[in-house]
Amino acid sequence: MAPLKSLEQEYPILDSNFQSFCASHDIFSVEDLLLHDLYVLAAFAEQESSSERLKQGIAQVLSIIDGQHQPWLNGIELLEDAQRNKHVLSTGCEGIDLLLHGGLRVGQLTELVGPSSSGKTQVCLLAASNVAKKHIGSVVYLDTGNSFSPQRVTQFICQHSDPAIDQAKHRTLQKVMNNISCKSVFDIFTMFDVLHQLEFNLRSQMQGGDCKVQLLIVDSVSSMVTPILGGSGSQGIHSWHALMISAGYLLKKLAHEHNIAVLVTNHTVGGDGGISKPALGESWKSIPHVRLLLSCDHGGSICNVSILKHPSMAVGKAARFMIHN
Amino acid sequence: MEAKGWISGDESAKEMLGRVLSRARPFLLLPPLHRVPLRPRNVLEIVGPSPSAKTHLLIQAALTCVLPVDWNGVHYGGFDGFAIFIDLDCRFDIFRFSHLLKLRLASGSVSEIDREQNNNTIKRSSIAYDEELYTLCMRRFSYVRCYDSFEFLATLKTLHYRIQKEKAYGNCVHMLLIDSIGAFHWIDRASTCLPLRGSNRKSHSVQTVLETVVQEIRKLLLLHPMLAIATKATLFGNRAMNEAKWNLRKPDTSYSQIGGITALQLPYREYMPSAWQTFVTHRILLRPSDDHLAVSDDQNHSVYFSEWLLPSLSFLDKFIVKEAGVFLVA
Repeated sequence: MAPLKSLEQEYPILDSNFQSFCASHDIFSVEDLLLHDLYVLAAFAEQESSSERLKQGIAQVLSIIDGQHQPWLNGIELLEDAQRNKHVLSTGCEGIDLLLHGGLRVGQLTELVGPSSSGKTQVCLLAASNVAKKHIGSVVYLDTGNSFSPQRVTQFICQHSDPAIDQAKHRTLQKVMNNISCKSVFDIFTMFDVLHQLEFNLRSQMQGGDCKVQLLIVDSVSSMVTPILGGSGSQGIHSWHALMISAGYLLKKLAHEHNIAVLVTNHTVGGDGGISKPALGESWKSIPHVRLLLSCDHGGSICNVSILKHPSMAVGKAARFMIHN
Repeated sequence: MEAKGWISGDESAKEMLGRVLSRARPFLLLPPLHRVPLRPRNVLEIVGPSPSAKTHLLIQAALTCVLPVDWNGVHYGGFDGFAIFIDLDCRFDIFRFSHLLKLRLASGSVSEIDREQNNNTIKRSSIAYDEELYTLCMRRFSYVRCYDSFEFLATLKTLHYRIQKEKAYGNCVHMLLIDSIGAFHWIDRASTCLPLRGSNRKSHSVQTVLETVVQEIRKLLLLHPMLAIATKATLFGNRAMNEAKWNLRKPDTSYSQIGGITALQLPYREYMPSAWQTFVTHRILLRPSDDHLAVSDDQNHSVYFSEWLLPSLSFLDKFIVKEAGVFLVA
């Protein structure tokens, strides 16, 4: 909510006369101007003595406002950006890759929904190790339930390399493990902190280096929201919706603007008629690009994944996969 | 004499019809939006839970908007104009849009796509389309994404100049598409109203934001006649929807009469402020049904219902989403 006064230095036309004119219409910041009809304001400015200068000030503010939204792109530019930057990251799991036509798409938020011990964390760990190893990119893993297991990641990384030279294997293992940065996050506010810090780092970083973040995993997003569900009074209920959706938008923004694939997990709750449904309710449904339902048969390592939502694929399409030990 | 001037007309009836009809030509959109003719300055709201193919309908409308009427002897039946897409959901998939456009161009008319697809699956690499026309149509699609309602308001306030700039090049904007209008509802609702300096200062709340949005869009539609289509996700629970499912077989029972005034019992909870509700001139409700349509061995498409709420038509259309787009099911 930057006050108009702070803009005076950069835009001398927004002088104290302009500011007091705006103040007389209860406008003190640029955000206030967004909520006002600028044509009506210009009509009021006509009646002032310094009308020309005031109208120039309004035009200046309009050009400031024009810089406050995302850039306009046409279809060709969008497509070029998507083809250049929004490639697909293999999860390391053939069944899921086949279902998703390649894997997790950069720039999109993919959600894994499933009851407990349905393999969600296993898929996350597998995807993390695969991206760190094959795509020469780094992975940021936000862990809410202390389920990140370096041993499991090591297993995934080492399973395909030949058991030949131990030292070389150890060095590559070190390098790949260094690419995965795991942070323990137990509540939504800490997650906001971590994500904002990540955004800041990404924005101030220069292009390139092989430490570019390619995959961001949040395991699980539902356990971060549930602690604030029982907020006191009606204000509490509204704020958890708002926090959850703000988190969703921040993740989508990171995904699109910084070319990262985001993978989040969510658990299931009982719904109408005993059928389980994904947690986090109706308003969360519109946040992820892709929603996948995971289920594992008891004891076996064969899991079922089906599409709940996808921008270009039919709901209900399913595949089976196995996570090797 | 002056009095005579009152009697002799300004223009003949032919001239008047020519002037009015060229500007208010109704848009004939593809099914399931085909039942009601839509004109520039209409505001259509597509409401439904997630997922219910709302964005697909928007994409389909955008494609019809950017396609020309005729090109190289092939009739496409488009509106030959620009489409502006404001993405508040930030989930738009350009690959899907591009693929649908290529399929539309490859066959020339919609009915042919359906026939071809039933014979063989369309491989992405083997679609033959007019490269020049494809580029032209893609360039006519203007896209912007907004991550919060401030960015949305900033976009709307500066949209007029953008449209004017396009007009200077001879390009007309025929459609304004917004996906989806209730995206920031919870965030705006929870914005705390701190005691602000100046008692009349407008606070950032759902009410004021949407009133400003309606104001800006209304001004835009006045200056540039175009059709506005906005999707809206139903944000509240499923109980009302389940009740509505039981009422599907008897559509007239979803109306209740209160002393002569017919009050429409909406199968979803309306959360948008009245400023937006009164701004909307047409409304269509989409919802998934429990039926699935088996198109081929491995493809099982879920069937969706579409119901016109404003103007309320008492029957439902059924449609599915296939690779080539949205198609009605008999």
